[in-house]
Amino acid sequence: MRLAGRFGGAALSLLMVAVLGFFLFRVVPGDPVVSMTRGRPTTAAMQAELRAQFGLDRSLPEQFWSYFTSLLRGDLGTSFTFRRPVADVILERLGPTVLLVGTATLIAVLLGLWLGVRSAWRRGSAFDRVTTGVSLTLWAVPTFWLGMLLMMVTGDLFPSRGMRDTDTAPDFVSQALDVGHHLVLPSVTLVAVVCAEYALVMRSSLLEEMHAPYLTTARAKGLRDDLVRRRHAVPNAVLPAITLVFLRFGLVVAGAITTETVFSWPGLGLLFYDALTGPDYFLLQGLLVVTAGAVVVMNLLADLLHGVLDPRVKVV
Amino acid sequence: MNPLLELRNLTVHYGPKCVVNDVNLTLAPGQTLGLAGESGSGKSTVAMAVLRLLPRAARVRGEVLLDGDDVATMSWGRLRAVRWASASIVFQGAMHSLNPVHRVGDQIAEPMRLHGTPGSVAELLEQVELPREKARAYPHELSGGQRQRVMIAMALACGPRLVIADEPTTALDVVVQAQVLAVLGRLVAEQDLGLLMISHDLSVLAETCDDLAVMHRGELVERGRTREVIANPRHPHTAALTAAFPVIGDPAHRWAEPAGEPEPLLEVRDLVVDYGRTRAVDGVDLTVGRGEIVALVGQSGSGKTTLARTIMGLRTPSSGRVIFDGAEVARTGRALKAFRRQVQLVLQDPSSALNPRHAVFDAVAEGLRVHGVPGDEEALVTAAVERAELRPASLYLESLPHELSGGQQQRVVIAGALVLGPRLLVADEPVASLDASVRGEVVALLLRLRRELGLASLIITHDLGLAWQIADRVAVMHQGTIVEQGSVEKVLLAPSHDYTRALLRAVPRV
Repeated sequence: MRLAGRFGGAALSLLMVAVLGFFLFRVVPGDPVVSMTRGRPTTAAMQAELRAQFGLDRSLPEQFWSYFTSLLRGDLGTSFTFRRPVADVILERLGPTVLLVGTATLIAVLLGLWLGVRSAWRRGSAFDRVTTGVSLTLWAVPTFWLGMLLMMVTGDLFPSRGMRDTDTAPDFVSQALDVGHHLVLPSVTLVAVVCAEYALVMRSSLLEEMHAPYLTTARAKGLRDDLVRRRHAVPNAVLPAITLVFLRFGLVVAGAITTETVFSWPGLGLLFYDALTGPDYFLLQGLLVVTAGAVVVMNLLADLLHGVLDPRVKVV
Repeated sequence: MNPLLELRNLTVHYGPKCVVNDVNLTLAPGQTLGLAGESGSGKSTVAMAVLRLLPRAARVRGEVLLDGDDVATMSWGRLRAVRWASASIVFQGAMHSLNPVHRVGDQIAEPMRLHGTPGSVAELLEQVELPREKARAYPHELSGGQRQRVMIAMALACGPRLVIADEPTTALDVVVQAQVLAVLGRLVAEQDLGLLMISHDLSVLAETCDDLAVMHRGELVERGRTREVIANPRHPHTAALTAAFPVIGDPAHRWAEPAGEPEPLLEVRDLVVDYGRTRAVDGVDLTVGRGEIVALVGQSGSGKTTLARTIMGLRTPSSGRVIFDGAEVARTGRALKAFRRQVQLVLQDPSSALNPRHAVFDAVAEGLRVHGVPGDEEALVTAAVERAELRPASLYLESLPHELSGGQQQRVVIAGALVLGPRLLVADEPVASLDASVRGEVVALLLRLRRELGLASLIITHDLGLAWQIADRVAVMHQGTIVEQGSVEKVLLAPSHDYTRALLRAVPRV
């Protein structure tokens, strides 16, 4: 019963995203046809033809209906700027984003949770004070500024633009090394910014558990301090962090718009940025549906996983 | 032969505050010793000191000899080996002392694996009279009594020679308490264990322990055979503790003055309350007269709290009627609000009933503001606070709850009820969380309010001693129905229903 409710809720959220996605971007200033034809001599007749081709001459409800019915068939429409199906464009950019944001999120989660556990367990220690201070500072720093700062500090050590060099040998190993090399700066930037969130959430939720009587029981049984922590305290304290981690996994797909823009990383974030300058309605709608859908699905997964990890929560 | 446990000049400080002061105590193998005292007497600190479990902030002096070995000077490795294998603890409040996300079987098995003790979880569960399938249960799937049995099974897992039980039955109702004490007592006797049992409840200790020690403000004030200590207390604090626990049938503990046949104030007629498919209250008839004190007794889960909530208008009944002062109680709107002003609720735990950030003045004045009572707020609040015997009121009005003792907090809750000039108090376990000495004062206060203001009370409790002390009439509730009601003397001294007799049998005797 509750499981059905969870799925129903997720479906409803997706529907609302689809509706919102259509109307939201119609208010973005700018005329797509003008941007499409910028720099080329065009006549009013050509513009009208373009409008007709993309269905922009029809009324808003008509446009919405055709958008919505094709969405149900899995068709996200055609991008103005790329003159190709939106789904293809998004799919092409998905790989780089998942690589960058996925790597960064994974590192940030592991590092953040570890930092949070250690600072809570030794609350008030030098380690705790330094960790909390540094992560708060990094969190407060604007991402683009941090990215540019890293570029300046590291000099020519790491490439700062794009995902691969054009002159790399075509074999897999050289390609992988090249991509890895390009990955360093953007992922370090992302980790530095989001790690703090995990560290702070983990720290505060472990601090709440620290005085739980069952930890005294565990100590009285003769468990070593690190076993008390690993086996008893952390499994309880990690539960609130799980939800956050999964929400973040959902955002992986959305990418990190600023980071990708600063480092010209050819992912969804950069695509979003480009689409907004159009505005490329169909691309924007498609991006919103895909990214919001990922968040909704991940949130649903987090709920289900919470039910598995915490026996007090009955999902089914 | 070494004593099992010996405390020599044990002193514990938290900063400048001394919580245990120069305590000397010995426990021979196979001996059972009760350690009694009120909250803050230092008795739990002693228990924690035995296995060196006190927080870092505690400064411990003196010696704690476990089988002749000083716990304070042991290496960490040696200490971990001694913990649970030589001495184990049955903690209070098993809900929080068991890890909520591990199966209880794993939690019982954990110390066995750690210390390399052979044995099986199933056998341990059988010893505490739990079916072996319960090993797969999580703590929240068990009842309070079952959880406490799991704690006992866990404590015996590594075959210790000393078991420390810290308030092992405090949160349990009287019938379950009797069962848990019986299991613990039987196992201690069978396995010839040393038992150090800590409780604020002398009758529980009298039931289980041969010897009794009494702590007061960090000091050990009395030690002797349990019967002698209780019969002839030498220290005034021990005397106060023994006197505070009412003995059912003893006229000296019957504080309520005999009342006549008062006019009915509250009448409940054939009330039924359902939670989904569960029938919590099943056709209850109950009357509280003007100025009468009625005790509604029963075990946890008997439906007594649901009944009280429905009377207050906090739940809608499935059928039946609640009549107050001759008129049916409204379920909504202004009439319900007016009714609620006349019927005030006093909850069990004052520390959670009071908002920790509201000063006494605001806590008491809140009711006046909610009901828009005209008049001088300060004068009304002061009068109510003094009625609740916090005198002079000016000393308390600006205090925050955490600056007050448990008894003072409960008086603030009562003042908050009195300020609205109610005619009926519904009190849910009003003294269960209070220390013995304070408990008597609060009981006396409720009786004085009845005498001076004609205030009627419906007291919900599983404590039959409290009913004997304070009530005019008793109603016994069992599985949603009232199985017996009548005058206190009749119900408690000559019970006619089997369930009432079972409840009375379960009451520990001093």
